[in-house]
Amino acid sequence: MSSVTLTDVGLVYPDGTVGLENINLAIADGEFVALVGPSGSGKTTLLRAIAGFLTPTAGSIRLDDTLVADRSTLVAPEKRGLGMVFQQHAVWPHWSVERNIAYPLVLARVPRAERTQRVAEVMQLVGLTGFEQRNPATLSGGQRQRVALARAIVGRPRVLLLDEALSALDEPLRDSLRLELQSLTRSIGLTVVHVTHDREEALALADRVVVLDGGRIQQVGSPVELVTRPVTAEVARFLSDATIFPGDRDRNGFVATDHPCAVPAHLLDVGSGADALSGAGMIAVLPEDITLEPGTGAPTDAVVASSLYGRASNDIVVTWQGISVRCRVPGRRYLVGETVVVGIRRAMFYDAARALVELVETR
Amino acid sequence: MSSSSKASGAGPVVLDRARSRFPQPSVRPRTDARTGAGIDLLRLALWLVCAAVVLLPLGAIVVLAFSANHLPLLLEGDVLQAGLNSMVSAVLSATLAVAAGTALALLLDRTDLRGRKALRLFALTPLLVPPFVGAIAWISIAGPTGPANVAWTTWFGGPLWNIYGGDGVVFLLAIHSYPVVYIIVSAALRRIPTDLEQAARISGASAVRAVRTITLPLLRPAMLSAFTLVAVGNLADFGIPSIIGLPERYVTLSTLIYRYIQSGTVESPLEVISTIGVVLLLIAAAAMVIDVLVSRSRFELDASSSAVQLLPLGVARLPLTMATWLGVLVITLLPLCALLSQALLPAPGVPLTWQNLTLDNIVRATSAPSTLTGAMNSVMLSVLAGLICGVLGLAIGTVVTRTRARSNTALKTLAMLPQAIPGLVIAVGWLIIAPRIGLFNTPWLILCAYVMAFIAIVVQSVSAPLKATPMTAEEAARISGATRLRALFDISWRMAVPAAIAGSILVVLTAVRELTISVLLLAPGAQTLGVNIFSLQQAGAYNAASALSLIITLVGLAGLGLAARRAR
Repeated sequence: MSSVTLTDVGLVYPDGTVGLENINLAIADGEFVALVGPSGSGKTTLLRAIAGFLTPTAGSIRLDDTLVADRSTLVAPEKRGLGMVFQQHAVWPHWSVERNIAYPLVLARVPRAERTQRVAEVMQLVGLTGFEQRNPATLSGGQRQRVALARAIVGRPRVLLLDEALSALDEPLRDSLRLELQSLTRSIGLTVVHVTHDREEALALADRVVVLDGGRIQQVGSPVELVTRPVTAEVARFLSDATIFPGDRDRNGFVATDHPCAVPAHLLDVGSGADALSGAGMIAVLPEDITLEPGTGAPTDAVVASSLYGRASNDIVVTWQGISVRCRVPGRRYLVGETVVVGIRRAMFYDAARALVELVETR
Repeated sequence: MSSSSKASGAGPVVLDRARSRFPQPSVRPRTDARTGAGIDLLRLALWLVCAAVVLLPLGAIVVLAFSANHLPLLLEGDVLQAGLNSMVSAVLSATLAVAAGTALALLLDRTDLRGRKALRLFALTPLLVPPFVGAIAWISIAGPTGPANVAWTTWFGGPLWNIYGGDGVVFLLAIHSYPVVYIIVSAALRRIPTDLEQAARISGASAVRAVRTITLPLLRPAMLSAFTLVAVGNLADFGIPSIIGLPERYVTLSTLIYRYIQSGTVESPLEVISTIGVVLLLIAAAAMVIDVLVSRSRFELDASSSAVQLLPLGVARLPLTMATWLGVLVITLLPLCALLSQALLPAPGVPLTWQNLTLDNIVRATSAPSTLTGAMNSVMLSVLAGLICGVLGLAIGTVVTRTRARSNTALKTLAMLPQAIPGLVIAVGWLIIAPRIGLFNTPWLILCAYVMAFIAIVVQSVSAPLKATPMTAEEAARISGATRLRALFDISWRMAVPAAIAGSILVVLTAVRELTISVLLLAPGAQTLGVNIFSLQQAGAYNAASALSLIITLVGLAGLGLAARRAR
């Protein structure tokens, strides 16, 4: 097991597209890190740079103390000692399950007896005992992904890379493999880098979540940190479907521009950075922090645009004076077309001036 | 709206669903019976046409072959030697072509070799140059009077490599068949996700080892089917062995049959030829069976979501790029240059200087009355063949892919069968039945043979894209109220028309330069362009033959370029 250290990593594709920019990230030994972001955010690019399939155009990547990629060094993927599971499992169709799993050991010249034993061990670990001689074409999607997982961990990799490893599976299967994946990687203390577009999955599995957008790291933190204190309104919107209202803040609280939304000062979470008491900015409101009451017929009422049933709370979108507000409210299920009064329990304020300063600094 | 009104609103949905289940069957059988007949009539008509165009000539060969026992003749010196030569040249050239085509596919589709796009275009050009034209071009490069051999002789007293003879035949057959291998293998390669190779790399395999242990084994079925296709095609090629092989007395089955037909050296030549034809048919059938068996063992591959990742060649990039470019340019551009210089010189062996250049050959070759009739005949026959193949192929391709019937596979196999049969056998079949159907000594016989030989091209190009389209396209038309036949016309045909047009253009371009069939079915006044060039070459008018070859090649390249642009 190893740590991964990325220092100032940048990657520009030959056609000029920026894949990664200024990535600094230290993944500790035994840590489970998830990379999330919208498509095109650079999460897969980052994973493939760690794997060695892409070469960074700036910065360096280290596995423990070994430099694997920088301006002058490039260690080939096969020499990095990694394990990887691909979205489409990439199980070799011309070999039996056992031969698929044994391949990394064959390449590492592990003696036959030890090889057989280690293959049997991991097959038991992933619950495939008895499938040794099967043709991969006869396996279900979940079983194939287990073969891929067994193949990735049989060589005792320094780091396990998961590239949308669960995304191609059906919902119930994905759920059960998610549980298995966690108990498996925790029991052998693997360092894991997991790329996913599924936000819930990232929050559920990881010790730390890295949010990427436009090839840059937006925020790194524990799942709780990310949900309760996103550093920008954009992160809140991406990770939690928060609604954003632009407006101004003074000592009494926040008032949205050209919109009835207003939040008193005691409900505003201003973070540590915003020291000025007044100024332009925006608030992000999490769906859970919104309350709905039956409409009063006032012109400021919102109208329900969609209403999805949920186990714990219903997922409702209301159109409130031109702004779509996502709410997750327990209790009565409001129906499409009903008028409601929107209440806000907590809002996070982001200073426009400070956001601007940050933008200038990173450019 | 309240929640209770919503609940009652949900009711009718359930009722709707229940209602739709019952009245529907009472309507459907009637519609099915009416429109099903239309489809069945269409299918019957297609069966009849296919039987007439494909089964009739083949049957004639088989019947004639078994009418008398000519088997002892087959084991006689001449035929046996020709058969051996054909087998050896076909197998060797196919092996070379598969090796070259696969290497090229790996280099061009999986690595970061420089200039891959241009290289791919160059590498495919031998496909567009008729084999006999290639032979004429290579004679001026590596023939006894070719510049390299002349220079080598003056220095070392002997030629470097004389293209005439068996090795030259193998070399030229390989050059003209590697593009087909490249196309087949590269299509298979595109279906192998790069994930599979990357999984091997992460497991600790070097790039070369990943290709050897993962990619090549997965490509093996495609390589094998390319091999059988190419070997059967080369088994009975006429142009190359007659131009390159005959001067060194390297006789193959096709040239032997040509001699039998032309000069009646054996008694009842047609019976002997049909016996040889049956042997070739059996070989072709065996190849088809192998192909079917191989395609059954094809691996199930998932579509990959990730883009193809090119393998960086690193330090090997520059030398490999240079070597590939050099090889491909020598094989493709050099013959065209040779044709050009031959066409512009008054006679072979005249040194290439500005004073010696002349347009006489080109003028004479294009203005000769035989050339004009040949060109007219070729254009007329190939355009007609393109039209007939287009309509027939479109109908067969859509019917076999978009309707469900037990006989579909048989119909498609019947239409695809001639592709696996050497052109030589096709010509012999039509030659045999010509007197009975009143087409003896007419150009229409050539047209019939063209249709039989090239119908598979259109069926193939029509059914491939259709197979990839889900059947829901027609089902949506049926739901909207179209009958089965109507849905077939409005949806399936319309979807397939561009593919059918592309296939027809390919038929026209192939037929216009065809030699094997045309030379065997030669009738007075039915000379084609290919036969023109061949006769000029046989008569020793090398420069005129080169001039005509150059024109036909350039026109063909331009035509295909236009077709490709249109298809895009």
